[in-house]
Amino acid sequence: MPSVLFYLFAAITLLFGVGVVVARNPVASALSLVCSFTGLAALFISLDAYFIGTLQILVYAGAVMVLFLFIIMLLDIKAAEGRQTNYATAVGGLLLAVLFTVQIAMVLGDFKEGNKTLADQTLNLGAAASKTSLNTIKDELAEGTLPDAKLMGFTLFDKYPFQLQVVGLLLLAGTVGVVVLSKRDRGGKEEVS
Amino acid sequence: MMSSFSIEIFLAVVGVLLIALDAFATELNRKVVPWAAIGATGLALILMLTRSADIPAWITPFYATDSLAVFYKVFALVTTLIVLIIALEGDFITAYFSSSEGVKTRIGEFYALPLIVCAGMMWMASAKDLVALFVPLELVTVSFYVLVAFTRRSAMSLEAGVKYLILGALSTGVLVFGIAWVYGATGSLSFEGIAAAASKPTTNAMALMLGAALLLAGLGFKVGAAPFQIWIPDVYQGAPTPVTAFLSVGSKAAGFVVLTRAVQAFTGDGSQIATQVGNALLSAAALTILLGSLPAIFQTNVKRLMAYSSISHAGFMVLALACGATGTVAFYMGTYLPATLLGFLLLVVLRTQGVGDELKDLAGLSKRSPLLAFALAVAFASMAGLPLTAGFMGKLLVFMAAISKAHYGVVALAVVGAAAGFYYYFRPILTAYSPVEGESTKLQVSPVARVTIAVLIVGVVAVGVYPKLLQSVLK
Repeated sequence: MPSVLFYLFAAITLLFGVGVVVARNPVASALSLVCSFTGLAALFISLDAYFIGTLQILVYAGAVMVLFLFIIMLLDIKAAEGRQTNYATAVGGLLLAVLFTVQIAMVLGDFKEGNKTLADQTLNLGAAASKTSLNTIKDELAEGTLPDAKLMGFTLFDKYPFQLQVVGLLLLAGTVGVVVLSKRDRGGKEEVS
Repeated sequence: MMSSFSIEIFLAVVGVLLIALDAFATELNRKVVPWAAIGATGLALILMLTRSADIPAWITPFYATDSLAVFYKVFALVTTLIVLIIALEGDFITAYFSSSEGVKTRIGEFYALPLIVCAGMMWMASAKDLVALFVPLELVTVSFYVLVAFTRRSAMSLEAGVKYLILGALSTGVLVFGIAWVYGATGSLSFEGIAAAASKPTTNAMALMLGAALLLAGLGFKVGAAPFQIWIPDVYQGAPTPVTAFLSVGSKAAGFVVLTRAVQAFTGDGSQIATQVGNALLSAAALTILLGSLPAIFQTNVKRLMAYSSISHAGFMVLALACGATGTVAFYMGTYLPATLLGFLLLVVLRTQGVGDELKDLAGLSKRSPLLAFALAVAFASMAGLPLTAGFMGKLLVFMAAISKAHYGVVALAVVGAAAGFYYYFRPILTAYSPVEGESTKLQVSPVARVTIAVLIVGVVAVGVYPKLLQSVLK
């Protein structure tokens, strides 16, 4: 990807990310997040990670954010007006973010693998094709294309099928929790102990 | 003869079935689900002690069955069993605060979720791989978000739930970021692979260090090690007491077993980052002991006092971990279990009798119930580390490990922390045995609570007098 596009999408991601925090109106915040996710998806795709890029759009910018907007609508959250900005917290948080960025920049400056792109990598896909057991992946690798969705699925279902089911259990626990915590209370006043 | 893996699946399945049972069999006596949960956990514990060693071959890449894993699995089961008994003891309080239907509210989920949590903690004990670490860790954490906020009519419980949710989600983010860096630096997700890569000169030490730091920060949050301990007092005080007991013993132990495995991977033979990780752990240990012990002196609420105490205990365990004494960490955890659960069980029993959890509420307890006052004395004496109690052996082994590695500065700080402990742990005991004017009603203790209290007291004293009992399990 030409570096112009990289800077464009990086700027979109960052600016809208700032927008999420700064915006007073929750809907504006949520929409900023959608834009930020879209920029991030473009960055993933520029790294040849097509599958994650697509997921970023479908799941995060699509499903998760729509859910967010629905909740904002249902709860009828108004813009947080008249709220005083706590400058001490803001400065502290900013300082922490700057420090962390500097730290990561220092580590990355020393991390030569980080400068490589997939184009620099001599991917011997033909040789890789002889190793995998799944036919469709094999064919695509032999053709020289990288089927990242299929490889990810292969890893997920071949190496971690059990953890995948534990994730199912996790979602069940989460769902049960939501039901328990949001069950409508039949009358009665909220009590404070 | 079942393998430990089948036992975990059994627990999770029973947990799910009990949730369904509670939802659909609405005419059922509401005590059926708690007793079924207690029965299932007890059965799982028996099956675990008579388990068969062979596990299916396909799980071996991510599933460890070494003595550390087995110890923490049994630990998780015992904790869950006692926590369920504590929860049953305080059943009507939890029910009363969970909806306006009051004490008749059906709260089956409150007993079914701990089974799922227990299965998660047992999977964590076996994690050999960062994926196998992360997924059950999240299962445990998400279930705890629910349990902490369960008594939603209490504003404190809701506040605790929100605090735990936000900080927990943040720590999960840090943990995942750390996992990504570790994977990027080493190209491996398994602890074995990470340890091998850490000793290779071609591995970028800076990147690995950043990953290790983030990973340790994320896990430090789960075990409540400074500087990630800030959430503990508020969450422990606000959560329903049985959940506080579960958090402070079960969740902490599960955090420590994965922390142990991660530290082992980072500080293996010839690791490039062993010194740095060791130093980070040492400073975290010193800070944790101080930030746990010193504020504890000023507490007037017993639950909050125990929250600070759990921070200070975590400091001692991190110290043992920094010295590479993984067996000592497990042993300390084993001494921490009976004393802490005994303390929380007493708080629940007292609460059911209308006695609050402020320090002044304990006044005259020895007159109202000699058994409860004695149990309180044993629990807090063990937490302080009085000789002949389990806590003494735990602290002694930690000090020995630290002295053998010549970390005298941290040992001095730990001694200060332990000395402060003698002050703040003995205040509740003295209050309980202080004479009070006027008549006072006797307190009733249910047979189940009596038996549990007796078992826990015997546990504290037995390990204190004959520590080999626990050490032989660790071998």
